Amino acid sequence: MVTSNPNGKSVLIIGGGIAGMQAALDLADQKIKVYLVETLPSIGGRMAQLDKTFPTLDCASCILTPRMVDVARHEKIELLTYSEVQEIAREHGHFVVKILKKPRYVNTETCNGCGICVTKCPKRAPNEFNLGMDERKAIYFLFPQAVPLVPVIDPTACIYFLRGKCRACEKHCPTHSISFDQEPELTEVEVGAIIYATGFSLYDPSKNNDYEYNTFPDVITSLELERLVSSTGPTEGCVIRPSNGEKPRKVAFILCVGSRSQRANYWCSRFCCMASIKQAVLLKEHDPRIECTIFYMDIRAFGKGFQEFYERAKSEFNVRFVKGRVGSIKENSQEGNLLLRYENIETGYVQEESFDLVVLAVGAENPLRKPPSFLELDDDGFIAVMDRYLAPVYTSVEGIFVAGTAEGPKDIPDCVVQASAAAMEASILITGGE
Amino acid sequence: MSEEIRIGVYVCHCGINIAGVIDVKQVVEHAKTLPNVVVAKDILFTCSSVGQNTIVDDIKREKLNRIVVAACSPRMHESTFRNTVEQAGLNPFLFEMANIREHSSWVHPDDPEGATEKAKTLVRMAVAKAKLLEPIEKSRADVTKKVLVIGGGVAGLQASLDAANRGLSVTLVEKLPVLGGKAALIGDLVYSEKKGWQIVKELVTQVVTHEKIHVLTNTTVENVSGAFGDYHVTLTITPRYVKETCLTPEKGEEACPVEVPNEYDFGLTRRKAFYKPFEQAYPPLYLIDMSSCTKCGLCLEACGNNSIDLEEKPKTLSEKFGTIIVATGYEPYTPSLGEYGYGKDGRVITLSQLERILSENGPSFEDLNLFDSVENIVFISCVGSMENPRDEGARTYCSRMCCSSSIKNMLKLRELFPSSNIYFLYRDIRTYARKEEHLYEQASKNGIIFLKYDLSTPPDVKINGKPSVEVLDKLLGKRIQIPADLVVLANGMVPPADILKLRSLLKFPCSSEGWVAEAHPKLRPVELPSPGIYIAGSIQAPKDIIESLISASAATAKAVIPIIHGRVELEPLVSYVHEDVCGACGICVSTCPYDAVQRVALEDGRRVARVDPRLCMGCGQCVSACPSAAMQQKSFTDKQIHEMIEQLVV
Repeated sequence: MVTSNPNGKSVLIIGGGIAGMQAALDLADQKIKVYLVETLPSIGGRMAQLDKTFPTLDCASCILTPRMVDVARHEKIELLTYSEVQEIAREHGHFVVKILKKPRYVNTETCNGCGICVTKCPKRAPNEFNLGMDERKAIYFLFPQAVPLVPVIDPTACIYFLRGKCRACEKHCPTHSISFDQEPELTEVEVGAIIYATGFSLYDPSKNNDYEYNTFPDVITSLELERLVSSTGPTEGCVIRPSNGEKPRKVAFILCVGSRSQRANYWCSRFCCMASIKQAVLLKEHDPRIECTIFYMDIRAFGKGFQEFYERAKSEFNVRFVKGRVGSIKENSQEGNLLLRYENIETGYVQEESFDLVVLAVGAENPLRKPPSFLELDDDGFIAVMDRYLAPVYTSVEGIFVAGTAEGPKDIPDCVVQASAAAMEASILITGGE
Repeated sequence: MSEEIRIGVYVCHCGINIAGVIDVKQVVEHAKTLPNVVVAKDILFTCSSVGQNTIVDDIKREKLNRIVVAACSPRMHESTFRNTVEQAGLNPFLFEMANIREHSSWVHPDDPEGATEKAKTLVRMAVAKAKLLEPIEKSRADVTKKVLVIGGGVAGLQASLDAANRGLSVTLVEKLPVLGGKAALIGDLVYSEKKGWQIVKELVTQVVTHEKIHVLTNTTVENVSGAFGDYHVTLTITPRYVKETCLTPEKGEEACPVEVPNEYDFGLTRRKAFYKPFEQAYPPLYLIDMSSCTKCGLCLEACGNNSIDLEEKPKTLSEKFGTIIVATGYEPYTPSLGEYGYGKDGRVITLSQLERILSENGPSFEDLNLFDSVENIVFISCVGSMENPRDEGARTYCSRMCCSSSIKNMLKLRELFPSSNIYFLYRDIRTYARKEEHLYEQASKNGIIFLKYDLSTPPDVKINGKPSVEVLDKLLGKRIQIPADLVVLANGMVPPADILKLRSLLKFPCSSEGWVAEAHPKLRPVELPSPGIYIAGSIQAPKDIIESLISASAATAKAVIPIIHGRVELEPLVSYVHEDVCGACGICVSTCPYDAVQRVALEDGRRVARVDPRLCMGCGQCVSACPSAAMQQKSFTDKQIHEMIEQLVV
């Protein structure tokens, strides 16, 4: 159970993605008590949805899962998943934080994660983790390697909650861990510092029907492709055209969707170039006959090993790069696919070419979960830092720090580095250099 | 040991990474047939908590005393499963891993049957070894409560401050006579009203007044011995030869007849052998550069004999440290003579030199008298960066900061020379930080002309009176010739030349280009594979000032952990010597890359090799070099390996 810390020599971290987990581990390894709050039923964050990571093509799960296990096992870290921060108040230099634990309807203490309940549940609902491309049960694990490995019941889908009967999960649970009468629980913690690691949201191309995203099922986002290419995704790693379930032969990637744009966000989202190159390489690895074309403005391969990976994509994997914007996408009824009209800036010609699948490399935006009003945001809606040079993890409120994409778009290593830096500064504050 | 050997074997699906190729069930069935195997199971993700809990439960229920996991590389999860085994009350070294992913499913995707057979063999070998495993006790050592920071640029300054503010003692060592590194030489910054040298000044002021930080400039690391938690470091302090009591050092400088290129202006100006590096330099002291001093004695006449000691000797200092942060930064790439006309005409300069000209504490255009009027200014990007990977020794990487730094300076030149044409010959514009995108837009609106060139058709700079730049613009598809009054080569970053010496002292791995190789590019970017030494700033890879400062705090967050704990765990799988068969030939002594093996005399006078377990990193090189099989390594004994080979060939 949560107990308040009278000395305030502990830290609250909001967000259980890669940045929040890294900050938690660095503080806990410094023998500092950490409360890690995550709004979803499992920690892991956005990285858990990725298949492989650039530029090494390391499997994301394989490097993330041990981190998640380390976090869960650390005696100095108290995990509060499926929980939300309700209120932050300042008292005597400490923060008193009210946290709402949402009901899982499953007893975390006794559940052993066997998953029998999931197999027995008769009700299906869209699977958010796979962006609605397949279905999960009404009682479900967020993803197979979830930490904690405890399922949740979705009361908006559960037959018992909707119609008052079923209880199949309860009947079959070998540890009697189903508890339909769980209520939201409010806990309070007292901490000396807070780190916001609330992450980012992706630009939504359906708002303005960018590139006919709403019109054609074969126009998908980069995260949707990531789930399709992943072995734990809706097709177990088979990339298909959503329109007909067939394998695509020609795939177009359109970069800077919602980024570097006059109509949407002006900023560069930093990871999309490399993520798209990686996806093109993965498709080529799956099937070398797939033709991949990347439409770009500038290729921003600026991180360690990135430029080399870009060169390999061209020379080794025959990924085609076209500098130019796609102007329109139409149905090509003759070939049953999509006709892209684009300007090839290097040749100066406007060309038309058909593709089976179009992937929109959507950019990063400020998180949907708005931070509290007392925290200053910058002009773009990300959490503002006080001095980019001399206080790059300090927010406008003393004692509150920021890490990861909550401060602006970043790739994984940049998130990890900033998270460790935030942990360092938070530890200085709460220990007072003792 | 008379206890019955009871082995549990767990075969991982790793999603479809393994099970997509290998018939996991068949491997499990094969494992069940092996001697001493009590339990054999397949698990979807063995590394997940449910997978680990299965192992823990089985150990307790089935009284297992050896565990084999057939999954990914031990590099990935060996420590994970050792912890799992330990959690169940077993010695963590009674665990063995068979790598059926990297060694089988990933490399034989087209041969499922062959891959399955290979996986069975690997499991059989692991089981055979597991039978012979013995418990190993982890040893611990005390940690010296002090951090060494090597490099006094922004990263080293920030790292020192963070560690000191966390309450630890810090020694900060800088090889140059001044602190601040490259940032001290920069004026305007993106994202800040402050200048580069002002940022440095604020950091330096905090560092030099901090009671926990001991600053040593003009100091190099001469030798490192000891091990993680207890490094013994010898430092050499080069004298300044000009005493701090000298009241009139300016007179000494004036009197000095020797002039050499000024490295702080990247050779744009010249300085005396008796000099002060630059305005705002800290410490603000004059010194004599002995590599160019002729000992003519004119400075002694000017300043007085008591103020200068040309025979002053270097001092050495030995100190102990618990952890070390390497923050030695980068060097700006110096184009070779004639590369884009560099060195052939004073009007071809590097971006680093331009930063000096535009900085308040550097020389001005007027001082340098480069031109009378300015019509055309040409910037060329990626000089010394993003070179052709097919060329030997190519610097294939992007230097990250040159695009935005170029554009920042173009806008400044636009103000200084409003009627000039400014061209940027680029390959991709990589203004990736948020505000930098605004800069790029501003540059376009301010009439900066962007011409895209390709790696295969680089610009050509001819010096015929005036520099003349010819480029094939990819977007127009035309060759363009520009008579230039100023050519700026956006030079990239290269690792400092003396990183090789530090590398041999501290034994860290580097990429082929010389950047320090981090433990993991995604999740452990400021750590090294071996513990105790951490990397901050651009020595890992090109970084801008902001990124260097953040990575310095990150490296410090790691470097303080062993000191806060006070004790460290040492490498358990070390080598050891069967002294009765050792012939003291000494091959192991010269083979060991860590200086961990020494020859010692026994009581009876016989000499044998002996391994210092604190220094041994478990690489095993001595074991394979030993001609008499006296050298063995824990968990890799000859007996264990022979048993594995037998299982391979049955």
